[in-house]
Amino acid sequence: MSVRRIEVRERVMARNDLIAASVRARLDAAGVAALNLVSSPGAGKTLLLERTLDDIGPALRLAIVTGDVQTENDANRLAAHTSRLVQAVVTNGGCHLDALQVTTALEAVALDDTDVLILENVGNLVCPASWDLGERHRVTLCSVTEGEDKPLKYPKAFANADLVLLTKVDLLPYLRFDMERLEQNVRTVNPDAVILRTSAVSGEGMQAWYDYLQCATENARERQSATMPTAISS
Amino acid sequence: MHELSIALEICRVIEERLPPVQLPQLVELGLDVGEDTTIEVANLEFCLDTLLAHPPFAGATVVIARRHGGDTRVSYLEIDDERPTH
Repeated sequence: MSVRRIEVRERVMARNDLIAASVRARLDAAGVAALNLVSSPGAGKTLLLERTLDDIGPALRLAIVTGDVQTENDANRLAAHTSRLVQAVVTNGGCHLDALQVTTALEAVALDDTDVLILENVGNLVCPASWDLGERHRVTLCSVTEGEDKPLKYPKAFANADLVLLTKVDLLPYLRFDMERLEQNVRTVNPDAVILRTSAVSGEGMQAWYDYLQCATENARERQSATMPTAISS
Repeated sequence: MHELSIALEICRVIEERLPPVQLPQLVELGLDVGEDTTIEVANLEFCLDTLLAHPPFAGATVVIARRHGGDTRVSYLEIDDERPTH
């Protein structure tokens, strides 16, 4: 027996991160703002997007990729609110989207006719937090029916978020729920995140969400300008 | 749940690092698992036991070290060049 050791030291996520970087560069070059929506199942990602498509879909060119373990239900729901393509990724047991799946899904998306790409991740507060999809903005949703301690129980999902949407606030009158405590728990794991209270049913807070999307779009266009090759004057 | 995805990535790294001609037997796999990775080590071990049950991985021992931080790395491979698998 002749056993020898090969030192490797390779990060397991290296390949995904490399593909994600490629996705990000492609979206930057196209001037597309990309958001990765993460939440537990049932937090209201799809309803948020249905209302978003109804309210600003005509003004903001939205492309959506949905991730689900089984069924294309979310994509079908969203397709009823837009004439634009909604891409469904069925992971067949996978508990998160990965950068390669996004790369494949983008093959069908006309990026030059898109302002915002929204990646509706698989409903799960653990696994999606570890996978970079090439987005510029990570958005974590937490509904008021889930309890105030979710940010403490699932810190990575909130620590990586640029924006935290507290959803279903129209239900607050019917719940024993301390909104300030939830926001304090978000701040504990992520002092820098923007926090918005929203309801896709009553419309509360939705304008602030649309303003965030608009701002993300403007930032994407600035990045596109910055990545464009300088014109050579002769 | 995502431990299966992680385990598949680990197998990809191993396959890339094993000498390409006449694959040798993998004897031991060293992993560093960060404490902030949200990886459940028992689940990862279960997934690896399943995936490493076939050549050229069959019988390999998995040695997992917990580390600070959020990275998971394939630290080292120990291979037996005199026991090639076909």
